[in-house]
Amino acid sequence: MTRLDLSTPGGLMLALLPEIVLTVWALLVLLVASWRHHTEQDSRLAGWLSLAGVITALAALAALWVNDVSPDGLAHMVALDGFRYAASAVALLAAGGSILLSLGYLERERLLAPEYYVLLLLCTAGMLFLAGAEDLIVLFLGLEVMSVAVYVLAGFDRSDVFSSEAALKYFLIGAFASGFLLYGIALVYGVTGTTNLSLIGAQLATREVPGMAALGLGLLLIGLGFKVSAVPFHMWAPDVYDGAPTPVTAFMATGVKAAAFAALVRVLLEAFPTATALWQPVVAALAIASMVVGNLVALSQRSLKRMLAYSSIGHAGYLLVAVWPGSRGGAGAVLLYLLAYGLTTLASFGFLAYLGRGGERDVALDDLAGLARTRPAIAFGLAVCMLSLLGFPGTVGFIGKWYILTAVVAEGQAILPVILVLTSVVSAGYYLPVIMAMYMRPAPGPETYAGIRLSPTAAGAVAIAVAAVLVLGIWPADLLDLAGRSAGTLTQTALPVATP
Amino acid sequence: MTQFLDSIAYGQWVLHALVLLPLIGVVPVLLGSESRAKHTALVVTTLEFLVSLGLWWALQPGVGTMQLLSDTPWIPGWGISYRVGIDGISLVMVLLTTLLMPLSVLASWRYITRQERGFYACMLTLLTGMVGVFIALDLFVFYVFFEVMLVPMYFIIGIWGGANRLYAAIKFFIYTMAGSLLMLVAIVVMVWKIQSVTGILSFSYDHLLEHAGVLGSTAPWLFAAFAIAFAIKVPIFPFHTWLPDAHVEAPTAGSVLLAGVMLKIGTYGFLRFAVPFFPQVALSPGVSRLIVVLAVIGIIYGALVAMVQPDFKKLVAYSSVSHLGFVMLGIWGGTVESVQGSLMVMISHGFSTGALFLLIGMLYERRHSRLIADYGGIARVVPVFSLMLTVVALSSIGLPGLNGFVGEFLVLLGSFAAWPWATGIATTGVIFAAAYLLWALQRLIFNPLDNPENERLTDLTRREVVVMAPLLFGIVWLGLYPAPVLRRMEAATARYLEVARQAGPAMPGQARLGATVEVRP
Repeated sequence: MTRLDLSTPGGLMLALLPEIVLTVWALLVLLVASWRHHTEQDSRLAGWLSLAGVITALAALAALWVNDVSPDGLAHMVALDGFRYAASAVALLAAGGSILLSLGYLERERLLAPEYYVLLLLCTAGMLFLAGAEDLIVLFLGLEVMSVAVYVLAGFDRSDVFSSEAALKYFLIGAFASGFLLYGIALVYGVTGTTNLSLIGAQLATREVPGMAALGLGLLLIGLGFKVSAVPFHMWAPDVYDGAPTPVTAFMATGVKAAAFAALVRVLLEAFPTATALWQPVVAALAIASMVVGNLVALSQRSLKRMLAYSSIGHAGYLLVAVWPGSRGGAGAVLLYLLAYGLTTLASFGFLAYLGRGGERDVALDDLAGLARTRPAIAFGLAVCMLSLLGFPGTVGFIGKWYILTAVVAEGQAILPVILVLTSVVSAGYYLPVIMAMYMRPAPGPETYAGIRLSPTAAGAVAIAVAAVLVLGIWPADLLDLAGRSAGTLTQTALPVATP
Repeated sequence: MTQFLDSIAYGQWVLHALVLLPLIGVVPVLLGSESRAKHTALVVTTLEFLVSLGLWWALQPGVGTMQLLSDTPWIPGWGISYRVGIDGISLVMVLLTTLLMPLSVLASWRYITRQERGFYACMLTLLTGMVGVFIALDLFVFYVFFEVMLVPMYFIIGIWGGANRLYAAIKFFIYTMAGSLLMLVAIVVMVWKIQSVTGILSFSYDHLLEHAGVLGSTAPWLFAAFAIAFAIKVPIFPFHTWLPDAHVEAPTAGSVLLAGVMLKIGTYGFLRFAVPFFPQVALSPGVSRLIVVLAVIGIIYGALVAMVQPDFKKLVAYSSVSHLGFVMLGIWGGTVESVQGSLMVMISHGFSTGALFLLIGMLYERRHSRLIADYGGIARVVPVFSLMLTVVALSSIGLPGLNGFVGEFLVLLGSFAAWPWATGIATTGVIFAAAYLLWALQRLIFNPLDNPENERLTDLTRREVVVMAPLLFGIVWLGLYPAPVLRRMEAATARYLEVARQAGPAMPGQARLGATVEVRP
């Protein structure tokens, strides 16, 4: 274990190494892109450079993680604990996966602007800040850096009306949500006189939570609720997921969600561990509403992309169930589920991107009919993804759901788990038809799927993701351990401060 | 035989081999050519059956506890390990499974004509799941096998099934999954509760069984979750509506395995988990009465609905509801006779109904119709087929001297003391069974031969006779001399009753516990 003094600039720089590395790479790619932004090769070059950036950032993160770097005394501005490292790793993996998916996709769709990758890197940097924020101001900055980049990415296909609509909608509602968040931060600051999460926790530990802080907590929950697309703050999600270019959708569903959930968990567990009576009912209500609405509405979707968008709302509900206990186990379940869901979703959207051939919005179930006969590998991969999203044993999705159930049951709560499994049964009603269409319906013609080409990078990314879904589903022991340990450090940093 | 088995350390590897062999077999099936797939599958399943046969001797008959135990850590931090073992009850179920499997493969020889590799890969995966369910001694492992079985069966119904297969497949999947997910919550709650008392986090069956007494007021809820999961699988009335669809739409092999093995996983679940874990709930007067009433309704309802089916396959499907009602009645009869009777019904139902589905499949391959009205008088055209159908139908009815009689007789005998009225009504189910099967038999193979299309029917081929022979042998053997089977199940049955009696309320008819069973028809 290495101690790092966060009150010195040097210590802070070291603590922010992954973020800094990523930002420097983003500027570098921007520089390259400003000279070379015309041809397919230019786009590819930017893509590979960005991938290198993500990998170096991962290396920097690993350096911190392996040395178990932790703060000397109070965590200042940025957290140094396993929870941050794990959440950042999920965000970086999502970024790397999305870059690999984009590499062939952008050329096919003629979206030849290398700035795409710059935005993606900046967005990832924002995610890392968000996942590691120990201070409400840092949290807000991270959220904004991430969001502004995602707004642009969502509308990246300027020729497409739906893409522009998605960007506008996301921007307006996102700005609205940021307003809530900022107001909440202000109120909490007004009560406690600090924006440091642990210090807020310490302040509130010794007294009854004042009404203003409770209001601030409520506004923070609303702001973050928008970002994780929990019902009733989900209205933007289907249209945005649907309209954005598919690799961007994959990125939003995995990375953005992971970072926002990491921030939510940290705020609730570090700043408001004593106010569980206030936020647990709210989180439970959001979770139930998200699970029920997301899964029921997904049932009636015709378009596959929109179906996955609604299902992601349902999965946000499952994650909120894991947030509910406010415990070490719950935080571990959030981490594991984020990874499980991220891997699966990345692969699902990856397949979708290449099945769509330019019109992913219109890929309906019938368009997959008989896919298994001519493209067995794609059909198998997508089937594994559907089973993992369903939470079927043998896939990592099951391990994620299992962890959530265990964490919640350990708090003596049985209603949420029952609703979770019942809504999972509902979700079988839309995941299974995908498998059914691919395997059990005849293809309309022998040449239907002849044109599908997975670019080598995308094929590699989805193959790795699907393999990971299966392998981690069968040998989950180490992963469970890691998630548990990473989450364990989260509550440990909060507790000594809470009792000064 | 025992010495030979000892010399090859049979007991140490057999359970792992039974689970792994089919999975390994999937590889050559998928890599080989379409036309070789069935041959590979036949070799693998036959090998599996031969390997499993040794269990018959490897198991010590007088021991009621689990034998051939094996324990490999899987997720140690969570108290989950791959624990397997076998007792007399599991033994017969495993043998039934491994016997029906090669027969199902053989029965699919001509029936399955497209995507053969996929079909036989599904069959082998299914075999792993079914064997795993019967030997799992860790609730997590059990749950995994329980769910894993679903996917191959879903594909078998959905890809190779009849006209309405998609509907049947998804209904089957969602029904079963709804039940099993509730059971998953119950498992987690149970393990957590027991951990909070004992301090040991473990999903081990024995550990949970030993400490299930601490569950207290949550026990009714947990029992309800387990019971619903298994009730859907059995299926107990009113959870049976998936069964006719799934059985009728599935290809022959699928129907045979669904009826022969998968339904028994429900009743096995009651015997192994739901009742021993929560005897004070399961055997309380209220719950007992409810289950016995539902079982009797199932017996009568299944038989009455079977009587009016124009489709012979559907008739057999509904007859399963009726037969499984006997099993449930026997489990709640609470005597060695009734529980052994239940197990015998489970086995003989596997033989008889499996054989009926096979024969229907053979008829369907020839005429592409399962409607009873399309046939009539075919006994003269296909004498071998008709003879076999008659024997199998008689065994399903419960004719003394054939296998069906032994189980149902024991169930009725053993349950009478505790449930005289219910047993009385259930007895009429046997009469109804005679009515619907004999009537169907009359319309199928007797009556005048008035449909000219039936005149060209060909009799059973040699392959089909080979498929039927082991089942017919079993039907006669179990009917005439069931003692070896009963002897192997007896100790496990007695132990089951002992566990249930220790923790539960006074069981009806427990004074008869330990009465030796002697059946000499």
